[in-house]
Amino acid sequence: MISKTVKCPKCGHETTINGEPGERVILACPKCNTKGKYVFPERHKQVMKTGESIAIEVNKLVKSFNGLRAVDNVSFNVRKGEIFGFLGPNGAGKTTTIKSILGLIHANSGEIKIRGYDIKLNGKEAKKYVGFLPERVAFYDNLTALQNLHFYAEMKNVPKSECKPLIGEMGIGDAVNKKVGEFSKGMQQRLGMARALLGNPPILILDEPSGGLDPRGVALIRNKIKEMKEKGSSVFVSSHILAEIQEVCDRVGIINKGVIVAEDTVDNLRSKLNLKPKLVLELEKTNEKIVKSVQNLDGVENVESIGVMLHVVCDQKAKSKIIVAVEKAGGNIVNIQTMEPSLEEVFMKFTED
Amino acid sequence: MNELIKNILKNPVFIIAKKEVMDTVRNLWIIFMTIIFAALTVAMSALGAYYFEGWQDLGMTIALMMGVVQLLVPIIALMLGYAAIVGEIAKGSMNMMISLPTSRLEIVFGKILGLGSVLSFTILVGFGSAGIVIGIMVPDVNYIQYLIFIGATMLVGLVYLNVAFFFSTLFKKRSTALGGAIFLWFFFNMILPVILTGIAFAGAAFSDIAAGNAPDWYYLVQLINPMSAYSALVTLNIGSISIATASTAPQLQYPSFYTSGLMVLILLIWIVGFSLLSYWRFSRKDI
Repeated sequence: MISKTVKCPKCGHETTINGEPGERVILACPKCNTKGKYVFPERHKQVMKTGESIAIEVNKLVKSFNGLRAVDNVSFNVRKGEIFGFLGPNGAGKTTTIKSILGLIHANSGEIKIRGYDIKLNGKEAKKYVGFLPERVAFYDNLTALQNLHFYAEMKNVPKSECKPLIGEMGIGDAVNKKVGEFSKGMQQRLGMARALLGNPPILILDEPSGGLDPRGVALIRNKIKEMKEKGSSVFVSSHILAEIQEVCDRVGIINKGVIVAEDTVDNLRSKLNLKPKLVLELEKTNEKIVKSVQNLDGVENVESIGVMLHVVCDQKAKSKIIVAVEKAGGNIVNIQTMEPSLEEVFMKFTED
Repeated sequence: MNELIKNILKNPVFIIAKKEVMDTVRNLWIIFMTIIFAALTVAMSALGAYYFEGWQDLGMTIALMMGVVQLLVPIIALMLGYAAIVGEIAKGSMNMMISLPTSRLEIVFGKILGLGSVLSFTILVGFGSAGIVIGIMVPDVNYIQYLIFIGATMLVGLVYLNVAFFFSTLFKKRSTALGGAIFLWFFFNMILPVILTGIAFAGAAFSDIAAGNAPDWYYLVQLINPMSAYSALVTLNIGSISIATASTAPQLQYPSFYTSGLMVLILLIWIVGFSLLSYWRFSRKDI
């Protein structure tokens, strides 16, 4: 990890940035918003340890509550610069895992490292690299949004000047001097995201970041996650909105009943499950004869007729046969689309009893 | 020197303490309590006691204020401390606090420092402003005695604050912690004195006490109650209390081991002991 103070060429404002040798960081001046980039020099590379290519390392984590194992021998890694989606049904152990990573709860056994720093032995150092958005965002109600953020900036040793522009970026610039006690849930969530982004942390841990947000807010958070990845940060995100996870994540981990049941890219998980794509045919009109002609074909698993749409779950090879069969049965195809199995289907398969 | 100040200002303990002060001061009830302290003190002095007329000097005012202090200060301290940890956990802001680059030790001592400063400031401003008014109205005021009284009151306030703080690390619900704080107030003000009187009865020392001639062990047992240590500390340093109470009860002759140093030490042991207990409990707590 290298720290560097860079000066804005336009307004002269100084900002401290952190990064790895060779890392390319895209910056925006907190004062005048002038954009620029900085590449950390390669010469420090030889002193880096191999473990430092991993942002978060969870190894054989066990946590029990009243004798019940909430998290059972959980191991996974979040790599540097990736967006890692952490999924699981309610009560699967997601929040327990996140709380263990941040030292909020004490694990019974196992090891957690953030950028190589053990959270038990060197928690203060480890947490310097983390920006966190908890599932239940809470602030000090008697203080204003800016006073709240100033407190967190001081604690993270980040210049206070970053706070106001960040609040503005999250779309609540008008409420900067308003007491947080008067904020709506959505506004608090936006302020929570601003708090997590303070100091451009190399690791972002987001627990249900879209909770309580309107669609505009959801899009804003999604864009921020992508932006942080572009800047080189690792993002660990837990969410119930699977479409959102599918859109932004490089890899996902699925936890069920306290056990990691899958950890890979969404494409690889689809392949592992042998989930078939869905062919969606839009016809001028459908009838029983067309449906039956498709159902009887080899490689066709399921056919569903919805209005003029025909949804066919099938092998890749059966696609051309289906088109021929539909036309033979008198169907007139207006449009054809292939839909890959969604993350939701992958999730359902991995978490079914 | 400048570097040292900069380092102190950047220390998480100081930053957390500053946040606690800002957050608490914005609660108007603490300002209200400061005004109550000042008003009561001035009123006590101005109206005099049942036995006297007109403005009383500071020493006499202290004697008249002791009862009020013994009821009010613990209430304020308990109200400040009971939710310090459990309140933040229940609300969710403790999640964020612990995720910051700070240790649980710094969180505990930052909070105690902040809340302790608010309490001390309330006592100082409340009684201090009243002292200035009395000083204008009454000639030849002994300010040293009054400052000792304020200092002793701060110490006993910090004892109750730390006890309440420890309770706030014990419970999972804010309401249970509030119940605990109310129980503590009853315990120290009602139950413990009764227990100690019971011990005196059991030890057949009551007649001696009534005659103002209690045995040493009775005085030793009394020191279990921090409020007794506080009363003794004030009485040992401010002579007027004996005048105020002379007509209602025989004077207790404190044994020779009753010294100001011992009383201060007892109060400090309560403060340090409970702040360490708070850290011990909080460092093992799952949030």
